[in-house]
Amino acid sequence: MLHIKPILSSLLRSKSGPVLLLIQIILSVAIVANASFIIQERLALMQRVSGVEESEVLTFSLFNFDPLIDKTAQNKIDQQILRGLPNVIDATSTNMLPLSGGGWSSTFNLGPDPDSAKSTPQFAMYLGTDHTLETLGLKLIEGRNFYPHELKDNLDSPSRLAIISSALAKAIWPDESPLGKVLYEGKDAQITVIGVVEKLQGAWIDSSSLENSVIQNVDYGSSSYMVRAKPEFHAELKDAIKKALLAENPNRVLDGFKSIEALKDSSYRDHKLMITVLIMMVVLLLLITSLGLTGMVMFNIQRRTKQIGTRRALGAKKRDIVSYFLVENYLICLAGGVLGGLLAIQLGQQLMKIYSLPMLDLSYPLFTVAGLFIVTTLAVYLPARKAANISPATATRSV
Amino acid sequence: MLSMKSVSKVFKTDLVETHALRDFNLEVNEGEFVAVTGPSGSGKTTFLNIAGLLEGFTHGDYFLDGINVSNLSDNKSAAIRNEKIGFIFQGFNLIPDLNLAENIEVPLRYRGFNAKERQRRVQQALEQVGLASRLKHFPTQLSGGQQQRVAIARALAGEPRFLLADEPTGNLDSLMARQVMELLENINQAGTTIIMVTHDPELARRAQRNIQIVDGQVCDFTMYQPHGSVQTAASHPLDKLVANAD
Amino acid sequence: MFFYYVDLAWRSIKKTPVLSLLMVLAISIGIGITITTLNVYKMMSFNPAGERSDELNAVQLWSQGPDSWDELNSLVTYQDAMNLRNNTLPKRQAAMFRTGMALQTEDVNFAPILESIRVTDSDFFKLFDVPFLYGNVWDKSVDTEPAYQVVINDKLNQKLFAGQNSVGKVIYLNRKPYQVVGVIKAWDPKPKYYDPTNGAFNDTEQIFVPFSLTPIEEFDVWGNTSGWKFETMNSYSDRLNSEKVWLLYWVELPNKDAVTSYRSWLSNYVAEQKALGRFTDKKSAADSVKVSDVATWLEYNHVVPEDNKILVGLSALFLSVCLVNILGLILTKFLKRAPEVGVRRAIGASRAQIFAQYMVEVGMIGLLGGLLGLAWAYASLYGLSAQFEVSKGLTHLSASMWIITPSIAVGTALLAGLYPAWVVCRTKPSVYLKSQ
Repeated sequence: MLHIKPILSSLLRSKSGPVLLLIQIILSVAIVANASFIIQERLALMQRVSGVEESEVLTFSLFNFDPLIDKTAQNKIDQQILRGLPNVIDATSTNMLPLSGGGWSSTFNLGPDPDSAKSTPQFAMYLGTDHTLETLGLKLIEGRNFYPHELKDNLDSPSRLAIISSALAKAIWPDESPLGKVLYEGKDAQITVIGVVEKLQGAWIDSSSLENSVIQNVDYGSSSYMVRAKPEFHAELKDAIKKALLAENPNRVLDGFKSIEALKDSSYRDHKLMITVLIMMVVLLLLITSLGLTGMVMFNIQRRTKQIGTRRALGAKKRDIVSYFLVENYLICLAGGVLGGLLAIQLGQQLMKIYSLPMLDLSYPLFTVAGLFIVTTLAVYLPARKAANISPATATRSV
Repeated sequence: MLSMKSVSKVFKTDLVETHALRDFNLEVNEGEFVAVTGPSGSGKTTFLNIAGLLEGFTHGDYFLDGINVSNLSDNKSAAIRNEKIGFIFQGFNLIPDLNLAENIEVPLRYRGFNAKERQRRVQQALEQVGLASRLKHFPTQLSGGQQQRVAIARALAGEPRFLLADEPTGNLDSLMARQVMELLENINQAGTTIIMVTHDPELARRAQRNIQIVDGQVCDFTMYQPHGSVQTAASHPLDKLVANAD
Repeated sequence: MFFYYVDLAWRSIKKTPVLSLLMVLAISIGIGITITTLNVYKMMSFNPAGERSDELNAVQLWSQGPDSWDELNSLVTYQDAMNLRNNTLPKRQAAMFRTGMALQTEDVNFAPILESIRVTDSDFFKLFDVPFLYGNVWDKSVDTEPAYQVVINDKLNQKLFAGQNSVGKVIYLNRKPYQVVGVIKAWDPKPKYYDPTNGAFNDTEQIFVPFSLTPIEEFDVWGNTSGWKFETMNSYSDRLNSEKVWLLYWVELPNKDAVTSYRSWLSNYVAEQKALGRFTDKKSAADSVKVSDVATWLEYNHVVPEDNKILVGLSALFLSVCLVNILGLILTKFLKRAPEVGVRRAIGASRAQIFAQYMVEVGMIGLLGGLLGLAWAYASLYGLSAQFEVSKGLTHLSASMWIITPSIAVGTALLAGLYPAWVVCRTKPSVYLKSQ
């Protein structure tokens, strides 16, 4: 019952209106498809699991400026104090903080000769203690934790132990158990893998090796500390930590109290910003397109009042008038959708080339067109209903 | 004043060629009041549009006030319309957003007169049509007859050499129509040439000269001497048809 | 005539308030989005060196061995920095890095604060045109014969010495006394071009200490230290003798010739080092050096994130959608007024005059849209900075936007009005005169 042919030929004969609409839809599809693709991609980034109890871990930096201080001994005392504070589940020293955007990154070799041995993928190099797993809330899936007596005071030690993330383990030894395997640092140092945690992300969220992490049994200390406690205790804990540690030794500055959740938030801030701006764009774009469409349909109806009256006089039902305008709109949308989809893919390819964005998924232009069908249906339906109410008598009245 | 020689106008579409005017000849002298009649579709309006330089034509020559206006640029023909021609329409065609003074001012603006000169001419034109007190009114606040008088004032403000009137009384009742007609006659007597298209024979009879257009050609004429001034065919030697009819 | 058109345009805008509002809204939203992204882009891509951009050059060296990094690092090794410092070709030069120390004063009640500090040479201040309020930089001899002297900024001077001339006073860094020799005025270039590797939009350090103190005081490095091979790092001298890169090196070269001769000096230097067994990669000595002016340097360090470029591109497309949108609305509006155009044409208006009248009208709509768009941009920048703690320097509406915004808005509107105005001035007047 849809008379597409006469509508199409009337569209082809009228000039600017439909063309403008077509251009608008083409551009909208191209923009919305790419924008929503980027949004989707960023959301996926933000939803990655870090493996850490983000909200429970409170971190801070400690700066000793007393030249006479024995940093190694002080570090041990400080950790004892931290673990003894009320509401603290566990605490540890660390050289770097997960998701903070700053830290240590390195590679090891798979053999003893640095010139010939293959090297591991890049990973985040955590130095921690037997309390690191508990403090971060990491899930050990193979092997064991460090024993307290195994802890080293610095990186000088030529034989060290490591707990690695399962992502790194799979990347190095896809088919074997990593337990007992040895990694080499330079000529002298050997690191034996004793455990695997399910997940532990590094510090740089945009790094391709975010999931690769190694924790070594080195109580590095004296710069950053992590304390695990229920989030509701964090505020009072902050004061308690300051008070306790300054009482222990006043020649130090304690600073940067932040939960890992907060660190993560500020790391992802740029992505959030991007998402916000893009969503704003998409919403406003759809709004503007539909407003423009409504305006144009209203104008068309005004111009064709007499024609519509004549049609009504010739027996067209109200429904026929509405469907006339809807079919007209769908034809334009369809053409715009196809061309816009092509442009979107083209644009996506350009973006991919210039800005190393991944390939645009075809489903995005499709969804965009579907969305446009819904929005434009509304934008057309309201004025078209009005058009259907034009009295057939209009036809007989001379202008 | 106005001289058309073998003017023809052809409208072409994909299917048909319509000859709106064919081999159209007309000579109008300075100070004449010419009424143009004819059945609808005969080419009256086309004639008026061509005479008023609103449309071009296909063949022939057209001299207006001694100037060949056959192939003028848009700027030049706009300037001639502005300075030499005044239009009066059936539907008045006042601009609804502008008040009377502003409506009358429109041609003066395009001619580049300064504010003082514009004001003087607007005042003068409104006095001429007897609406001097309505300067700030808007067209919709006036009766049809008053609107038409404003339209005439607008046409007069530029002090044109001749007026083209298209059914000037067509939308008016008889009383108002008579007033407007009298106004036009006064203007004519003051020296302005007037060409008026009408289908009202009563009105046409009041003009000095009648021309009938049928199928795009001048086919008949009648001469009246309503005010006793003698007008003979001899004074139009170039008008072949006039001479033939004599 | 222009003011006549303005008057007519204003009447016409007032006469169809809804349609006019739609158009103004469409333009203003497009403009608002474009200006928001453009403003951030402009702020990020700003070159704070201005006219001195060509004279200031950062030095980069391909010191890595084969099969390691495949890019030039922005930082250089301590060995190289020390060797470069011995060259007298550049007019000025400075090595630098960021550290942090606990700051105390002679006032025992002053709680120590952790301050970020720039360790650099005396030329730093002249290189980057740092204005002094009191005193001056430490003497050039301090660059070779270390002395515990310090330059602080005005803000810190306010805090520590109540804004008095503090030259000669003492502050304590990690409990060591440093004598204040100069106080600089507020100076906060954005982007922080002299060291974009520590966050290109961070605030400038408040304290500056001599680079020559580095081996003595063993300042912590509060920045990136990168190595391309494993080296044991048990002491600070290991760091100083290592192939790890962690220093920035700037030179001032007043003209092209100076750049050329400095570059050739650098490649000679690399050749020498190759002979000594460093710079082991296959790259030729000439290819192993890079001297970048400020503009190139900012580009190289990706100071403008790609996201921002994408947003500018998308918002330009967005604006073009708005353009097409208002084009439709303007066409609608103008065609409705074709009868009036007919009258005006009959009365003696030329096509050009009609065209001008309508262009003035769209220009005015554009201007209104631009002003509203500026308000949107202002609001959205404010909102973004509140929501995302973006640096104030980036969300501050740049002064040039007051001119750029209305220009883009009016330009867009005029572009959109071109076709409708053309259509309407081409319409045959006779068509609209007969019927009502």
